[in-house]
Amino acid sequence: MTIWSEPRLLPCGDRAVSVELGDEVNRELNARVLALEYLLQQRRLPGVGETVPSYRALLVYYDPLVIGYAALEAALRELCAAARPEVLPPARTVELPCCYEGELGFELDAAAEKLGLPPAEVVRLHAGSDYYVYFVGFTPGLPYMTGMPDRLTIPRLVNPRTKTPPGSVSIGGIQCCIYSVESPGGFWVLGRTPVRMYDPEAADPILLRAGDHVRFRAIDRAEYDAIAADVAAGRYAPAIVGGS
Amino acid sequence: MSLLSVQEGGPLTTIQDAGRFGHLRVGIPTSGPMDREAFLLANRLVGNPDDAAVLECTLVGPRLELTDARLIAVTGADMSPTVNGAAIPMWEAVPLKAGDVLRLGPARAGVRGYVAVAGGLDTPRVLGSRSTYVRGRLGGLGGRALRKGDRLPLGAPAPARPRRLRAGRAPAYGTEAEVAVTLGPQDDRFTAAGIAALLEGPYELLPQSDRMGARLKGPFIEHTRGHDIVSDGVPMGGIQVIGEGQPIVLLADRQSAGGYTKIATVCSFDLGRIAQLKPGGRLAFRRVTVAEAHAMLRDSVRALDTAIE
Repeated sequence: MTIWSEPRLLPCGDRAVSVELGDEVNRELNARVLALEYLLQQRRLPGVGETVPSYRALLVYYDPLVIGYAALEAALRELCAAARPEVLPPARTVELPCCYEGELGFELDAAAEKLGLPPAEVVRLHAGSDYYVYFVGFTPGLPYMTGMPDRLTIPRLVNPRTKTPPGSVSIGGIQCCIYSVESPGGFWVLGRTPVRMYDPEAADPILLRAGDHVRFRAIDRAEYDAIAADVAAGRYAPAIVGGS
Repeated sequence: MSLLSVQEGGPLTTIQDAGRFGHLRVGIPTSGPMDREAFLLANRLVGNPDDAAVLECTLVGPRLELTDARLIAVTGADMSPTVNGAAIPMWEAVPLKAGDVLRLGPARAGVRGYVAVAGGLDTPRVLGSRSTYVRGRLGGLGGRALRKGDRLPLGAPAPARPRRLRAGRAPAYGTEAEVAVTLGPQDDRFTAAGIAALLEGPYELLPQSDRMGARLKGPFIEHTRGHDIVSDGVPMGGIQVIGEGQPIVLLADRQSAGGYTKIATVCSFDLGRIAQLKPGGRLAFRRVTVAEAHAMLRDSVRALDTAIE
């Protein structure tokens, strides 16, 4: 496992530093990144601004007119030593309905052929897994997840699409993601959830958080349409278990 | 109610305040002005707080009408501003009367012009900010660029005397710019020749550039082993180098994270130079240490604080 024995502090211009804890996609490593972010937020260091967690690093924005680089580095190294997954609050599990049928899962058949599995088996394996959200981003609210069985590992599309509908549940490599806004994409679209990852109209526009677990529940087209109507009317909230 | 009416929107005129902070960790960009210096000076010239919302105009300005008398200031790109057809100076507060029509034309120098109105634009805050993020349909007016018929509410102005910039303090926007960078976060993924190519330059700014990133074309930047990394956070000003060995400088509306190598990061105080460079303009990168960057930042803050008479 590639976790550095000492964190690497990599300056990014005059107002940010990347605290790199390792170099791979690994839940233990990611949990340490989230723990570092959690401890840094609790510390409330003057001059420390936004933080952006990712698989293996925490990007920390700071105001050098308030906190000097040496003081920031010392504080970050001290917090890294204490950043264990145990410090994090309990994780949530979010259940997302997903329709794998027809135009909503427009690359299911092609992906199944590539994987050498019947489409129904791809759906069964995909919907039967527990997914872990490493972090949320790229576009607003997009979760970076793993959790699929090895049999669903698939190379990314050779020719990425220029447009992917929001809500598209898709796989590439060992990862699963849900497109949050219409955007280009290189993952295979297996289905679509009617739940919005990003809703600019909502008081809290982002559904998923780093560290969440996600389960998919396969639904048919009629249920998809019913939930989509409830989502549009502001009457739908996905089932969320746990958390604090 | 005091209003700013939009008679013509221009190609991309958006409402921007100092930015939307606290949501990068879920992928919502900071947005805010592309040229922070011109933005700040516009606000200070009319007596606004530094984070008041202004208009950011792109390449061609809008035509606007005020419903009551206010101080305004136009900074940034030279869009030949006029009031009721008569030229007005840039970089100084100008008192307008009710019914006056302010017009900004095509940018003669620079790309982004800023219009501050005393009292600031008082559109609703979304997630703590009035800044517009068009791709995410967030903030500003319906999350979109302004268009004909829009009416923007104005805040109450603080008592202020008209001010102007000290002589010689207005920036000159040319066809070449040099910006300071620190190497990294992934400079170790590039060959010595690749880093030398970046610092040698220059790079031409391509027309596909936007508020998300400045796309550049120039000397090939060589990787040591491919351009993919385990995705990490994308800093403001980060210089991403993809497969073809060409750099993209990531800006105010950038993606929060990404899986491409970043060779260097442009310092915050120089990002406005990129914002004001026209397509076809040439950009050069100069390497500095973090300590040098912080000293330059302090100098730039001091220069801004003493720029106004």
